[in-house]
Amino acid sequence: MRAYLIRRAATAIVVLFGVSVFIFLMLHVIYPSPAIDVLGPHANRLSIAEWNAQHGFDEPWVVQYLRYIDQLLHGNLGYSYKLNQSVASLFQERWLRSAYLSGVTLFLSVVIAIPVGIYQAVRRNTFGDAVVTTGAFVTYAMPDFFLYLIAIQLFAITIPIFSYEGPQTTSMVSIIFDWRAMTLPIVCLTLLNLAGYSRYMRSAAIDTVAQDYIKAARAKGLPERLVLLRHLLRNAFLPMITLIGLSIPDLLAGNLIAEAVFNYPGLGLLFYDSLGTADYPVLLAYTLVGAVLVVVGNFAADIALTVADPRIRLV
Amino acid sequence: MTVTRWPRTLVACVAAATATTLGLAACSTSSSGGSVNSTTGAFGSVPAASGTPQAGTITWAESPGSAPTWILPIIPGADFTVYSTNSFNYELWRPLYWTQSGVSPTINQALSLAYLPTYSDGDKTVTVRLKTSYKWSDGQPITSKDALFFLDELRAAVGESAANFGSYTPGVGIPDQVVSASTPNATTLVLTLNKAVNPTWFTENELQLVQPMPAHAWAKASASGPILDFTNPANAKKIYDFLAKESGSTGTYATNPLWQVVDGPYRLTAFNNTTGAYTMVPNPSYGGPTSKIVPTLQAIPFTSDTAEFNAVLAHSIDIGYMPQTDVPQLARVKAAGYHVFGYPDWGFTIVNYNFADKTGDFNNIIGQLYVRQALAHLEDEEGYVKAFFHGAGGLAYGPVPAAPVSPYSPANALTNPYPFSISAAASLLKSHGWNVVPGGTSTCAKPGTGPGECGSGIPAGTKLAFNVLYINDPAIVGEQLTNWASDAKKVGITIALQSGTFDHVVAVANDPASPKTIDQWAMSSWGGFTNPAYPTTFGIFNTGGSSNGGFYTDPEADKLINASVTGSNPNAVKAEAAYLTAQQPSLFQPNPDFIVVWKDDVSGQPAAIEAMTQYYLNTELMYLTK
Repeated sequence: MRAYLIRRAATAIVVLFGVSVFIFLMLHVIYPSPAIDVLGPHANRLSIAEWNAQHGFDEPWVVQYLRYIDQLLHGNLGYSYKLNQSVASLFQERWLRSAYLSGVTLFLSVVIAIPVGIYQAVRRNTFGDAVVTTGAFVTYAMPDFFLYLIAIQLFAITIPIFSYEGPQTTSMVSIIFDWRAMTLPIVCLTLLNLAGYSRYMRSAAIDTVAQDYIKAARAKGLPERLVLLRHLLRNAFLPMITLIGLSIPDLLAGNLIAEAVFNYPGLGLLFYDSLGTADYPVLLAYTLVGAVLVVVGNFAADIALTVADPRIRLV
Repeated sequence: MTVTRWPRTLVACVAAATATTLGLAACSTSSSGGSVNSTTGAFGSVPAASGTPQAGTITWAESPGSAPTWILPIIPGADFTVYSTNSFNYELWRPLYWTQSGVSPTINQALSLAYLPTYSDGDKTVTVRLKTSYKWSDGQPITSKDALFFLDELRAAVGESAANFGSYTPGVGIPDQVVSASTPNATTLVLTLNKAVNPTWFTENELQLVQPMPAHAWAKASASGPILDFTNPANAKKIYDFLAKESGSTGTYATNPLWQVVDGPYRLTAFNNTTGAYTMVPNPSYGGPTSKIVPTLQAIPFTSDTAEFNAVLAHSIDIGYMPQTDVPQLARVKAAGYHVFGYPDWGFTIVNYNFADKTGDFNNIIGQLYVRQALAHLEDEEGYVKAFFHGAGGLAYGPVPAAPVSPYSPANALTNPYPFSISAAASLLKSHGWNVVPGGTSTCAKPGTGPGECGSGIPAGTKLAFNVLYINDPAIVGEQLTNWASDAKKVGITIALQSGTFDHVVAVANDPASPKTIDQWAMSSWGGFTNPAYPTTFGIFNTGGSSNGGFYTDPEADKLINASVTGSNPNAVKAEAAYLTAQQPSLFQPNPDFIVVWKDDVSGQPAAIEAMTQYYLNTELMYLTK
């Protein structure tokens, strides 16, 4: 186990280094002169030259990269020259909002997908299975923004039960308890995730139901409830663990379109806005933190798999 | 002159797609739904002021990405937008001259801090006299020293970096042309310039940048430090560094005592630097005109146009805007209890020609006036406004658009010199030695420089085939160009359409400082420019201009542009605009309207409501009726 952890940590460092070099290079290809993006196409030559010098963009990219890594190792994510705030403070203000929306959504999606998937597997090819499958396909195929707009139109404008936008406060306590504002984004995102998760769960459960140990459990007269909970659920849940691990980065990435439509400023939107303004420090930090979460998510999934299924050994 | 960048619409297609799918509003209702007039550019109308003023708060929609990130009136290029100035900074600190009257880009004397200046010594000396009716919110009078303080701090700012002032042009205007400044009395500021200027240009484009700052409260190098002599350059630098540092602390805008000393109609009481939301309360010391009961102003930020439009449909915002893609839903907005008025921006949108692109001898082809005229004839502006802008747009044939109308609008700004006519375009090409192949690619049949020949540097067999690089968002850019290219094909001009992101297009096709990609594009479209009140194209179409991305050069244009900036004729810019409209240094396109919507219970001076289409916010002239 220890050797495995060390190996994974070493791999993670290599991956993160590669990601940082790649992103740094890509940004220089996409924005060869960020000064024009930042100052605008009308900026005079002197302003562009002095701005580039002020921010070190007049130096070779290798020098710029090494300087960036140096400040990163000192815990400095940089300073946004468009928003006049440190990247750390920008992240601090937004990550909880994004994490809350994504986290609640992820939790609800998994909690609902499990019984739904099992139900579909056990009642395979019945009317109920067909109804749920149809609903999942429709939701899965639907562009997310379209679902958001329909929900807003129906439940915030035509029948004004909920708010058309997310909470505008920065207080997390207020956000958590503002059910009127949070219901539509959470429900919509949950529905979208649920469509995919329930299909995975159904598929895994169908495979598991056909296993001999399920038949044996039933044959020895174990109540169906216990069969499902003790034998089917634990085994069918394994693919979901991997899926959840891969969803961890969503906690950072947030849900860009949902944030845009529901007027909910989170990290995803910060990244999008930064792309439009060539805000290097924000883009770099966001991408690197995203890479860290991908590595951590996968790692966590691997660990969880060994716990859920002792037959799997980390070597 | 500031660059107009097409608004970024994250989910631009969303509302339209939804409207279509849900059957919420039929596109065909757009033209009849509003009082569209493609000649004047107006979309809807503004009713006269009515109702009894009531106290309250006006909520105003902040466009996506327009949250203020700077508060000091000397705004760096990185933070400089029409929103950071007109909708935020001007609410707190007024400029010497207010250059907007309704939709008309003219000086509004009632809203100006100073009387019109006088010029002497062959237009090398400017005397500005401040009004005494304006005061700082702490009761101190606004003096000429406060205007001088701005100029000295501006000099310190650009001395550190030219990027520290978004409106800075090295060597031109303020502060570089001011060789000395004096304040003979509390209300008079005298500027001596290094050379004669065109008085109208200097007043309307340069002096309007001056925002007096409270020297008695701000001229210090630390929060608790003493007031310094800002006329000493070393002190000025220290003061600027301190003020700039404080201005960079976005989280303290509403609490920092510095920013509480204002001369504008409002004072900031709340600012959220995460979202950009802010609240301003009326400044009781404000000396300018106001409505009977000035409302509190609350800026509500939006993460997308879609989110803003939902707020309008939910009737939850007092003053908002209608995104261009949502114009077909006009009836819904009206049904939600809103007035609607749109007007095009005072500026121009262009397809830039690359006069230095040697690919296929494009530089020589586009250098021919008749080719540019033919290309202009192939543009169906009225059709584009109707089809792609849903009637919410204004026509523009040159750097001065047909709307808004200004005292400097030349005759050919109002009547298209090159109206849409495919046959006229074909005739121009044929009469200059081209073998026109409709649907194919026309070629030069008669090379040479004589009458009836293709022109200098165009060999026989040269094809009329080139590319146009354009931004992929918003969609109306591509729609117009696709239509234009389609009509061009009818006279054998093959235009290859290549779209890209704004950053890509600007990097490739608008970098006159570093023309590495000079032969990669023949034409480009990424937006345009908002005109200053005195609409000279200095910097854009003069040889070597910092924004002359197409490398246009014409001695006559240079002479006229120079006259606009340094000549004594106040109407010089009219001749400049007329000449450029005739010469077509770029393809001028129609301008989309900025459409303002406001609740029925918001009223006030119609001019103040109209001015919102030009990104000026004068809620101090408005009021709530319930």
